[in-house]
Amino acid sequence: MVKMKWVVLAVLAVVTSIANSACFLQTEEKKVKKQFRHLSEWASKERGETPITMAQRAQKIGTLFLDPCEFKTHIEPFSEALTPDEISSYAMRGRSLFTVLDLVFYDMKIDLSEERVAKVTVTVKATGRLKDGENIKEIHELECLLKKNEGGWLFSRFEVVEVLKR
Amino acid sequence: MLLKRIVATEGEEIEFRSGKLIVNQKEMEEPYFRFPSDWNLPPRVVQKGCVYVVGDNRSMPIENHLFGNASLKRIVGVPLW
Repeated sequence: MVKMKWVVLAVLAVVTSIANSACFLQTEEKKVKKQFRHLSEWASKERGETPITMAQRAQKIGTLFLDPCEFKTHIEPFSEALTPDEISSYAMRGRSLFTVLDLVFYDMKIDLSEERVAKVTVTVKATGRLKDGENIKEIHELECLLKKNEGGWLFSRFEVVEVLKR
Repeated sequence: MLLKRIVATEGEEIEFRSGKLIVNQKEMEEPYFRFPSDWNLPPRVVQKGCVYVVGDNRSMPIENHLFGNASLKRIVGVPLW
């Protein structure tokens, strides 16, 4: 009877720890998703945005990134590590080319198997209108790496995946 | 998600000559293909674990069309009709 009591307690302890870690992972996953939501919100642009809002958003975008953050793309061969200030500056210049811009992330898969590291595969769709009137529609698959530090989850790497190789 | 036609499988050689699809040196019949195309693409062999996918809209410039080797692992389904 005593043995049975210990077995029940051990099972309960295991179940509780599994539930706790599942709950923890769920919470961390939400925090990672939140960073993508912020990036989407701050990178997107509505018609008639004021210069102050533009500067604020560019600055906020910089706060989402680790120092440095690596960027790699095959579209315009580019591979560089940028500081948050440089990223804000690129964001400012990039967004200023558009009158309207909408950045959406979807089909997100988050791998949290490594401690304090989130590997995310996600599709990004950017639609917008340039100041010269040209409409832009770009869809790409990304592999992103986020690392957790005191400031929460921050982007550490962005790579555009080449889905179709000619 | 992309919707593309599989035109060649692993190890096959593919090319385009004046808009005609050539697989393993044979011109392929493509009844679904409605508009004229002037595509030219030098021969290449489909990579291991991949299929070669191309869309049907080949009247657009080849530079702007998204096509090529796609990993079999990326295929998630087929159209129902």
